[in-house]
Amino acid sequence: MKHLRVSAALALAFTFVAPIGLPAGTSADSGPIKIAVITDLSGIYAALAGKGAVEATQMAVDDFGGSVLGRKLEVDAIDHRNNGPEAAAKAREAYDNGAELALDMTNSATALAVEGVAAEKHKLAIVTGAGSSAITNANCDRYTYHYAYDTYALASSTGRNIARQPDGKTWYGIVPDYAFGKAMLTDFTAALKPEGASFVHADLIPLGNTDFSSYLLAAKNAKPQVLGVLNAGADTVNTMKQVKQFGLDKQMKIAVGLLFLSDVDALPDVFSGTRITTSWYWNQNKAARAWADKYTKRVGGGLRPTDIQAADYSATTQWLQAVKAVGSVDADKVQQYLDGRQFNDFYATAGEWRARDHRVTHEMYVVDVLPKEQIKEPHAWFKLVQVIPPSRAFRPEAQSLCKKDW
Amino acid sequence: MPNISAEYLVTQIFNGLVNGGFYALLALGLSIIFGMLRIVNFAHGAMYMLGAFVAYYGALSFHLPFYAALIVAPLVVGLFGYLFETLLLQRLYDLDPLYNLLFTYAAVLVIEDLMKLFAGALGSPYATPAGLDGVTNLGFTVYPTYRLFVIGVCVVACAAVYVVVERSPLGARIRAATEKPELTQAFGIDTRRLVSGTFAFGVALAAFAGVLAAPNTNVTPTMGDSIIINTFAIVVIGGLGSILGSVTAGFALGVIAAVGAVLYPPISNTLIFIVMVLVILFRPAGLFGAAERRA
Amino acid sequence: MTLALIRGRRGALAGAVLLALGLVLPLIPGVYIVFAIDLVCFALVAVAFDLLLGFTGLLSFGHALFFGGAGYVATILIANGVTSFALAAAAAVLYALVLSLAVGAVAVRRSGIFFSMITLAIGEIQFFVVFQMSDVTGGENGLPISTRGTFFGLPLANDFAFYYVALAALVLGTAFAIRVVTSPFGAVLAAMRENEVRAKSIGYDTDRFKLAAFVMSGTLAGLAGVLYAVGNRFAGTEAVDWHTSGAIVIMTILGGIGTIYGPIVGAALYQSLDFFVSKTAIGDKTNLVMGLIFAVVILVARRGIVGELLHLAFERGPRLVEDEDAPDRLIVSNP
Repeated sequence: MKHLRVSAALALAFTFVAPIGLPAGTSADSGPIKIAVITDLSGIYAALAGKGAVEATQMAVDDFGGSVLGRKLEVDAIDHRNNGPEAAAKAREAYDNGAELALDMTNSATALAVEGVAAEKHKLAIVTGAGSSAITNANCDRYTYHYAYDTYALASSTGRNIARQPDGKTWYGIVPDYAFGKAMLTDFTAALKPEGASFVHADLIPLGNTDFSSYLLAAKNAKPQVLGVLNAGADTVNTMKQVKQFGLDKQMKIAVGLLFLSDVDALPDVFSGTRITTSWYWNQNKAARAWADKYTKRVGGGLRPTDIQAADYSATTQWLQAVKAVGSVDADKVQQYLDGRQFNDFYATAGEWRARDHRVTHEMYVVDVLPKEQIKEPHAWFKLVQVIPPSRAFRPEAQSLCKKDW
Repeated sequence: MPNISAEYLVTQIFNGLVNGGFYALLALGLSIIFGMLRIVNFAHGAMYMLGAFVAYYGALSFHLPFYAALIVAPLVVGLFGYLFETLLLQRLYDLDPLYNLLFTYAAVLVIEDLMKLFAGALGSPYATPAGLDGVTNLGFTVYPTYRLFVIGVCVVACAAVYVVVERSPLGARIRAATEKPELTQAFGIDTRRLVSGTFAFGVALAAFAGVLAAPNTNVTPTMGDSIIINTFAIVVIGGLGSILGSVTAGFALGVIAAVGAVLYPPISNTLIFIVMVLVILFRPAGLFGAAERRA
Repeated sequence: MTLALIRGRRGALAGAVLLALGLVLPLIPGVYIVFAIDLVCFALVAVAFDLLLGFTGLLSFGHALFFGGAGYVATILIANGVTSFALAAAAAVLYALVLSLAVGAVAVRRSGIFFSMITLAIGEIQFFVVFQMSDVTGGENGLPISTRGTFFGLPLANDFAFYYVALAALVLGTAFAIRVVTSPFGAVLAAMRENEVRAKSIGYDTDRFKLAAFVMSGTLAGLAGVLYAVGNRFAGTEAVDWHTSGAIVIMTILGGIGTIYGPIVGAALYQSLDFFVSKTAIGDKTNLVMGLIFAVVILVARRGIVGELLHLAFERGPRLVEDEDAPDRLIVSNP
């Protein structure tokens, strides 16, 4: 009993110590300006972003001159290991140690976590690799911008492109029963409606399911014109494998919600013949290709950059230009400068830093994934089908749930 | 709920038999290892994964055909299992059986991470073997030929194992060795080798299942992760140590889960666990389990 | 299983040392405050786990049920407007208590390995439910909160303030665990561990005792989970993943089961190693390192760090010791 009493007394004593607290870290005003690239360096997104993203950021810094406002620029590579709390903790630490920008956050959980930290620390964060539209919708924030793509853009681009055609009106949905899937289904349904198309049925498939045969058989029997594969990662791979096993790709069009160049590099046979949306393709025009050649030369190995890696370069350059123009790294000032600003570069055409919700809008591209036999050079997997202007690609401002408090 | 025709339902049952076949093979191996050795091999799913990777790398580097992989992978993984058991696992036999579980769990962590480093986390494609990659007309529907092949192979394999373990002299020796080791040794039978051999055989079964799975799903380092938990649930339902229980529960739960998936999708991934909870409440020893043997 | 570390002067000394370390931890240069908060939370869940494994002999592979589940409940409440941290925490701990009662009632019907497999499987049910109820839990994106609420008027936004609140919880939790194992209840648990049939024949309803221990363990684990989620201002799916259950097992055994203080050391070691690994080239391959260490520990140092140290220091060789059951007798102990 004595144990307990003593401990309780001590515990009580702590709660009096607690309010004293201690100040958080200081920010240097004359040391180097740091950019924290918080990405997945070692896990499932390492090929999509990872070291390539860090390299792209460093490339942007070097191309900018290596310094701004008379201070040296430093790029820190931080592995969030696809863990939300870890991303938040590392972001906090980075900001406290002099980072003025957090970049990348591939993986929506980490993006949302870091969004909270950026707001707390009054420093900027630019999300490129995550897809959740909540980042600029219900969760919008003054200090975070969403740069590359989001689930709304994917749905409205791919959805409308296919639904416009007479043989794209009836859809069957393979939808995972978690946040991403449900968001995709909602966004795709909304995109299909104005074109007179709709889902005849959508299966909400619980997590952990690796066998899609039941659902694909149901799809086969339902005889839709389009199969909407709205899952991600390993689920998409399994679904597509089984789609080919059941011969569904010969019977209907296959639209995949989320796919990246790095995925096709890894498994070209699985994804060939599908239609997807991307925010950028390395071979889409001369400017893109010129940058991609520079990147490939720098990184080596003949690998081509993904749209996320290109987005990281573009975002970094944009931010540095803003800092230079404003004459300060102060997040509030830079944010005010960026809000509403329009721009064009090799990555973003008709780009705008939308002030309403911090969704950075630009053109999006609907592409077909070519089979191995048809590509003209290594990694040239995509064939451009349609360019979607930003006004149609991204969620209209009027529909945003963002409670803008800045 | 989509319109469910009778033929659709029957097709789903076939899908359930495919998944059930995998569950049965894995539960079988796990049960044999436990029944004979009192070890719960947490690494069973990892062995399944290794079997699939042996098939993949075999094809990649040595052009190993699928049918050969069905034999080579179990041999390779079986050998690995034999070494693992003799060099490491043996040392824990005198201890509380929980340590076996924990040690094999540590093995899972190491094996999976090593494979992630080696193979990358994205997964490797394995093609359906030629000749089996079409569809067969079953009358009421067309069905992928490979899946029919899987069902057939699983049934035959389970039957063969049952015959060997329950009806053959070798099986009798193994059972004798585990129940009365000293007495069996007195008859001149090398119990040590039998035990190690049984472990190797159990994991070889898992590897065999892995090769069968490779054309169906992506070959990834974590493919054993979710299947091991499902397998645990199935052996609890069927009765750990009972071959009949493992096989029956495996096929049955595969079908139940497949049918459940179309009738009410949200519970499809937890259906096996819910059934497990119900079985524990009403028949704690499992459907075919003997009174719980002192572990 | 030794109470040698917990009883008497030795126990007080050990506790004081750990306490001192805990007080100064955030002040050590290079130790990041949120890392320290996480450390304290895992230390608490490891203590809770030891109560079950070390003193009741039940290996639960599903403690993420309580650690993660309670964390989600508290975070969901705060995200939906509850401003009192105490209220959110209390509700979450209550969830852990009720859940552990329900799960325990099912799981204790089987013993040993089956108990482990059952807790593992039931943990998976909650994992899938969290993903599916994504409107409430955020699904795979997790649930961020912008505030930690207030603790009886004290705003918990300051990380250092929160750390000391968490440390207070660790101290109380540890004291509670020690109280339990040194009580008559604990003595019955010890008897059950020794020989369950005999304990039953004396008249103890062993299942009830196991259930009680399980509920205590689960509830305390829930408290740790609340502190972890709210401390990070984020409830993520990792906390309900069975790999976290596995990590808790490793931490506890690494530190030394049955020593209460050992798991605290084990948790600190695990977290530090994990942090270190995250900065290396192998990045997220913590499991490789922890798996190897765990395997080695099981093979040659089963008692865990603290357990082995204790054994070396105090229990080697034959000597006269107090018979713990009858303190006025001496017996020869030759471990």
